[in-house]
Amino acid sequence: MVTIALAGNPNCGKTSLFNALTGARQHVGNWPGVTVERRAGTFRFEKGEEGTVVDLPGTYSLSARSEDERIAASYLSEPEVDVIVNVVDATNLERNLYLTTQLLELKRPMILVLNMADEAKAQGLELDLETMRKLIGGPVVTTVGSTGEGLEALKAAVLEVAPGTSAPTMPHVNYGLDIEGEVAKLELEISRDEKLAATMPPRRLSLRLLEGAPDALEMVERSHASKAIQARLESSLAFLDDHLGADAPTLLAEYRYGFARGLVKESVKRGETPALDRSSRMDRVLTHRFWGFPIFLAVMVAVYSLTFVVGAYPQDWIGTGFEWLQAFLGSHLPEGELTSLLANGIVPGVGSVVVFLPVIMILMGCISFLEDSGYMARAAFIMDRLMHKMGLHGKSFISLIMGLGCNAPAIQATRTIEARSDRLITILVNPLISCSARLPVYILFAGAFFSPFHGALVIVGMHVLGFALAIIMGKVLRLTLFRQDQAPFVMELPPYRMPLPRTTILHMWEKGTIFLRKAGTVIFAGAVLIWFLSQYPGINDKSLAIERHKQEEQIKAQGLAPEAEKAAIDDLEFAHQGRIMNNSYAARFGQLVQPIFRPILDPDHRRPEAWKDGVALTAGFVAKEIVVGTMGVLNQAREEGEEGQLSPLQQNLRDNSGLTPLTAIAFMVFTLIYIPCLGTVGIIRKETQSWGWTGFSVGYGLVLAWVLSWLIVTLGRALGLG
Amino acid sequence: MNTTLRLSDLKAGDRARVTSIQAEPAIRQRLQEMGLTRGETLVLEKVAPLGDPMELLVRSYHLSLRREEGACIFVEKEG
Repeated sequence: MVTIALAGNPNCGKTSLFNALTGARQHVGNWPGVTVERRAGTFRFEKGEEGTVVDLPGTYSLSARSEDERIAASYLSEPEVDVIVNVVDATNLERNLYLTTQLLELKRPMILVLNMADEAKAQGLELDLETMRKLIGGPVVTTVGSTGEGLEALKAAVLEVAPGTSAPTMPHVNYGLDIEGEVAKLELEISRDEKLAATMPPRRLSLRLLEGAPDALEMVERSHASKAIQARLESSLAFLDDHLGADAPTLLAEYRYGFARGLVKESVKRGETPALDRSSRMDRVLTHRFWGFPIFLAVMVAVYSLTFVVGAYPQDWIGTGFEWLQAFLGSHLPEGELTSLLANGIVPGVGSVVVFLPVIMILMGCISFLEDSGYMARAAFIMDRLMHKMGLHGKSFISLIMGLGCNAPAIQATRTIEARSDRLITILVNPLISCSARLPVYILFAGAFFSPFHGALVIVGMHVLGFALAIIMGKVLRLTLFRQDQAPFVMELPPYRMPLPRTTILHMWEKGTIFLRKAGTVIFAGAVLIWFLSQYPGINDKSLAIERHKQEEQIKAQGLAPEAEKAAIDDLEFAHQGRIMNNSYAARFGQLVQPIFRPILDPDHRRPEAWKDGVALTAGFVAKEIVVGTMGVLNQAREEGEEGQLSPLQQNLRDNSGLTPLTAIAFMVFTLIYIPCLGTVGIIRKETQSWGWTGFSVGYGLVLAWVLSWLIVTLGRALGLG
Repeated sequence: MNTTLRLSDLKAGDRARVTSIQAEPAIRQRLQEMGLTRGETLVLEKVAPLGDPMELLVRSYHLSLRREEGACIFVEKEG
């Protein structure tokens, strides 16, 4: 079976070509040990035999300085790759061909694919494939990724150069007499170590050494010939510096671009070029000094509404469906541990995961659309100044804004940020943005302890605080943990293109299934654990069960109206849940951690009810809105109330909990910061591929939450507000 | 003889030729790989609404850079 690898620049249409080639026969995973996506799939040749295709991350070069480049460079030297398919954007040949010059150095069978041939034609470019073929030393085909045009020619070309056919004669960039002389000397030294020479073509290794590539230097260090090679390298570098007036990396880049420009000159005829291309015309408005911002904000509002307002409908349906299933199981299965696990643990736990699905899919669809259309780069262009001040990247902004809806998909949206440090910081500060699940907690407390006007101010204040903390933490992380790897902001503004619906839909589908499979397992396990903690050891006291049964009989004997009877029995069940909860491991844990909360929530040691805070906050780990429900169960007061009045739970909190407006604010601030919810933790784990960073995210949240709440309470009391 | 400027000192619409890049090796190589080699002509297309980053037209594609990186690139103004 033939394996081909698609290599090319970002935005060259590689992925749409990959989709056209494989159709649905593809799967997405990660490259080993890193968070970069690995796409692989199969396709059929004309005669029916199967081929494998791997889509490499898009890179501008093979210098192996970024994660993407390292992956591409190392995979391309794997023996399993039979043919390199170098995809280039036919409308932007010169820059795309830079990578080609490096691919030629790999000395492997290669095909040059001029993609987006339709656009090139529309721009009046005439491509002379014969001449190109001579200059590249391998087959050259034209394709249109969006329509699948040229795929058959591509497959035929693969068979033409696949192993077993006559070895191609690959040309290479001629770097001029002086450099070539030094390269030859280095090659000679390298070839003395056969093992080293087998891992990378000596010519490529020589060039990488001259460029000062850290990975190449490391390879040499492990060789037994390292002394001789290093000595040779030093004198070569000194010689070139002296004779050519520039250092080797500069010279190599110039010769490569010289080759690229020469190739374009020989083989492309430019017809009439339009005075100003379409993308520049669009940018006159979209990145305009004044209009750029309002348009960008309008796009953000549109994406946010589509995701969290429209997405709320399917979310509600799924939620209702799971509630129905839970009620159905609870009433139709025999009572017992297993039923409880199923009805109170697994079903609501899985439900809490699956309700994320619509917003994730919609948001990922929007992000994919913005990315493929070229607007994402403009959004980053407009926002970078602000974001850079926060230690972040222009593309971080979208993720932060979407965090207002839900942090889990917002963190997935960081996929578009290339540099690892930018991405990690964006992921780590994201949970500080107040998501919509925290709103019910604010409403509960703000309503109970403040006038409507002040309550509204407090709620707005929580959101502002979240953003402020994200900004500060971003800066702090940048200056401390990520000081070393500040990636330069060098970003292409690709031409605007209409995204293919197929690509967007595939992307949504992919994100949805990955979310369910990977993050789902973490969240599922967490939900089962929380269920166990909140239900066990349970109440074994038989007399209580008998008592409850008796009460139920009494209610039924009263001959109430059916609704009143149902309400009364519900109240009994509610009280029973309260007893189980109060006796559970979670409650014990809440009591255990009570001393930790004392300085922030009970500074005077006068609240007998203070242990309930710890229980509610522990339960809130599953999802922050659960804090409200748990408070309700613990206080035996419901959160639904008459329109325009405080709910029973709010009255209870105000009158009986012992919380003051100041400690209520501390409670809200703690809820805002303390820990990402279970779903978000699952996503952080998946997106960082690291338990270390996941643990860090949880840990710093807890510490920051405590310190800040404590400061608020202590300062407030010092000012006489307590 | 034209005077040498930093790329970050150019104004929107200016056309200039790269003379040298003075930055640490990794950043300099990245900029060269993106086509900013000595002798290459570029046009500063526009500056982002907040004054940073900048948009260049180089090798007939659009590239954006922060002023920070632009300050490492020395150019000679043309025309």
